[in-house]
Amino acid sequence: MSDIAMTHSAPKPQTAKSRRSSAAGWILHNVVWIWLIALVVIFGLFNQYFFTLFNLQNIMVQATVLGMIALAMALPLLVAEIDLSIPANVGFSSAIGAMANTDLGLPFFLAALIGIAVATLIGFFNAVCITKLKMVSLIQTLSMMIILQGALLALTQGRTITSLSPGYVWIGQETIGGWPVMPVVFVLAILGMYVLLRHTVLGRSIFAVGGNQVASNSAGIRVDRVKILSYTIAGFLAGVAGYLLASWQMAITSNQGASYLLYAIAAPIIGGVSVFGGRGSVIGVLGGVLLLTVIQVGLAIISVPSFYVGMIGGIMIFIAVAIDAVRVRYFG
Amino acid sequence: MTAAQSLKPETESRIVLRVEGLGKTYGGVVALSDVDLSIRAGTIHGLLGENGAGKSTLVGIMSGQRQPSSGTIYLDEKPLPPVDVRAMEEAGVFLVTQEPMIIDHLSAAENLMLGIWPKRRFGFVNWRKLAIDAARMLDGTGIDPSALAGSLDAVARRKLNILRAMFSGGKVIILDEPTAALTVDDRAQLFDFMRRLKAQGVTFIFISHFNDEILEICDAVSVLRDGRYAGGSEDVGAMTSEDLSELVLGRGLVLFERQRPTFSADAPAIHLTDIRSGALNLPSLAIRAGEVVGVTGLPGGGGKELARTLFGLQPAASGRIRFADGAERALPAHPAEAFAAGIAYLSDDRRRDGSIAQMSIAENISLSAEVALARGAFMNAEQERALSQRYFSSLGIKAPNSSVAVDTLSGGNQQKVCLGRVLATRPKLLMLDEPTRGIDVGVKQDVLRIVDELSRTGVSVIIISTDTDELVRAVDRVLVFQNGRVREELAGEAISRSRLRNLG
Repeated sequence: MSDIAMTHSAPKPQTAKSRRSSAAGWILHNVVWIWLIALVVIFGLFNQYFFTLFNLQNIMVQATVLGMIALAMALPLLVAEIDLSIPANVGFSSAIGAMANTDLGLPFFLAALIGIAVATLIGFFNAVCITKLKMVSLIQTLSMMIILQGALLALTQGRTITSLSPGYVWIGQETIGGWPVMPVVFVLAILGMYVLLRHTVLGRSIFAVGGNQVASNSAGIRVDRVKILSYTIAGFLAGVAGYLLASWQMAITSNQGASYLLYAIAAPIIGGVSVFGGRGSVIGVLGGVLLLTVIQVGLAIISVPSFYVGMIGGIMIFIAVAIDAVRVRYFG
Repeated sequence: MTAAQSLKPETESRIVLRVEGLGKTYGGVVALSDVDLSIRAGTIHGLLGENGAGKSTLVGIMSGQRQPSSGTIYLDEKPLPPVDVRAMEEAGVFLVTQEPMIIDHLSAAENLMLGIWPKRRFGFVNWRKLAIDAARMLDGTGIDPSALAGSLDAVARRKLNILRAMFSGGKVIILDEPTAALTVDDRAQLFDFMRRLKAQGVTFIFISHFNDEILEICDAVSVLRDGRYAGGSEDVGAMTSEDLSELVLGRGLVLFERQRPTFSADAPAIHLTDIRSGALNLPSLAIRAGEVVGVTGLPGGGGKELARTLFGLQPAASGRIRFADGAERALPAHPAEAFAAGIAYLSDDRRRDGSIAQMSIAENISLSAEVALARGAFMNAEQERALSQRYFSSLGIKAPNSSVAVDTLSGGNQQKVCLGRVLATRPKLLMLDEPTRGIDVGVKQDVLRIVDELSRTGVSVIIISTDTDELVRAVDRVLVFQNGRVREELAGEAISRSRLRNLG
């Protein structure tokens, strides 16, 4: 029992010490951003090109797809579940959308909407399995991931879909005054998620359910409904991410999305989303996404031999997570 | 200093554990300040204090779970360096927490030997020795060594923890509120067990909120108040319950006593009809507006089941509820419906089922009322803040402000937050399950007073309680449940300690 007394005596000798520890706490709480700035400076020192406008735009575009997937990933984590099938959903749903466009000849916006609808439905289906059938989310979504990856392979017959219509790829290719349009979607998604989590009853319920499911139920929160909505919104975000990825790459490969899995889990967690649920923020997820993107882009720009990129990137993520663990240990 | 001066010769044994100048601060909050305390070998030493007085912090430090900000611990008069739990356990000091540290799907014997398995070479477990040793330890305790720990009752689980501590070489065993959630019989059984171990030379530090328990079993007592040593005695026999309360509170305790209102026969009431769920069978019950009804009986008797059924936590086979204004409806199928209908329930297990520990006080208070206040999908932030603030101050929750996380509060204050949460929904029928369990005697009076005031505004209240004292002083009518039915009903002056004890 944490029995911290609220005594009224003024803490005299501790002030200096506690001020120091609160400064350390502040640094550790914002470690993602400090680490991010440090890496930007380091990469910039290695190669001036890193500071160019073109590279900034590149980072924004790269961060968009990862960011959308990370936001999707964060929602099930916040309700103390997980959805491993999200990156596979990204690939599968975009293939459906693209084929509706190329094979069925539907207009591109309708085709994109079909893809997003499919992704949303998959998220909803996962949630129903987890809440109503009481399947364990880790395994249920793992199997869904394998199914969707297999389905994508079957759908594409191992080929890469490239014959996407100009309308379909517009969002990923268009620039206005030299600035790419695609990151606008990510900004909108961030704002939307922020409003959802901070200002709606559903958002509040998501944190409550993630914090203590049993107590949430007794407090009058419909736990199953909250989980279903979280997964469904996550599915929707995955669908949008799939559309953006296809449109940006102007292609859908037979393993589209799969490479995002680990980064999409890492980004929210680096940004402070708890794997045990109930803790996290949109700003944190953004920080995690930018950090991972800067690492990827930076390592490419300072031309680290490709054999070392994975290892060095992994070490940088490791450091971020280790610092975060220290923060939780000492500052809660 | 402790009251070591008033020693009687026969109690004069050596001091096994002593703390000197112990202090602890969390951030800027002083939890413990300059505490001196001596524990004599082979005694049961009571530790009393209000919620938040620093008891848990003190025993946390003694058991090595927390590091003191200042001060020293002496074991057998040798100062200990800052140590962790493992080192303290090796030195023989064990903390048995409120929630027994037990792994449900292992046997009693395995739980007893957890972490101290008798080993063979190459790290293999010596199962035969484990079985023999465990059987010897459990002999006479009534616990089957091969029984799954999950199937044991509350006393057996506590005993198992104490035995484990002893078996690991425990000289000083700290029991943090071991009697919480135990029945009267269970408690007597546990006390016998402690006395037997004491005769074998084990020293106990015993935390309790109940004066009668301290007076019954302890040889010495120390009281903490606001993180400081408030007094104590090495001759508990010479103390009265009032002495203890005064030390705990720093003033004389005024026990709450409800002025029972008189209800006319045609007073408006909430009518329950044909409530059935599992073994529960309640043909009809009327609770008048402003009435406080106590519900008691053995666990599983039907009181808790009644509340959970009315609240929609337990599926009902049948049942209707009619409110004083004539509106009649089926029983709610979910707590959300219950709150909307004006039915509120607060579970006895506030840790598991009462609050969201990492959320703030304000967020917890507005959690259940949120949906009613919301504008469409959006939270009504201002109204929620106002509501939280109102209950935060009117319930007298002790915290720096309402944005503090609930898990930093003491038990009694957590209970007030939970109470605030259900009151914020403005219920017509409020059901409280053991609302004062595990909270100190001062806060307990607060809670009973809040319930009393609420009833005067016309709210019907059901208090489920096994605390006879609480039933005698705070309710208008008592229903005794047995096997899912009301076995007896006592009203007004007929509610007395002796009647309730005999109903057992």
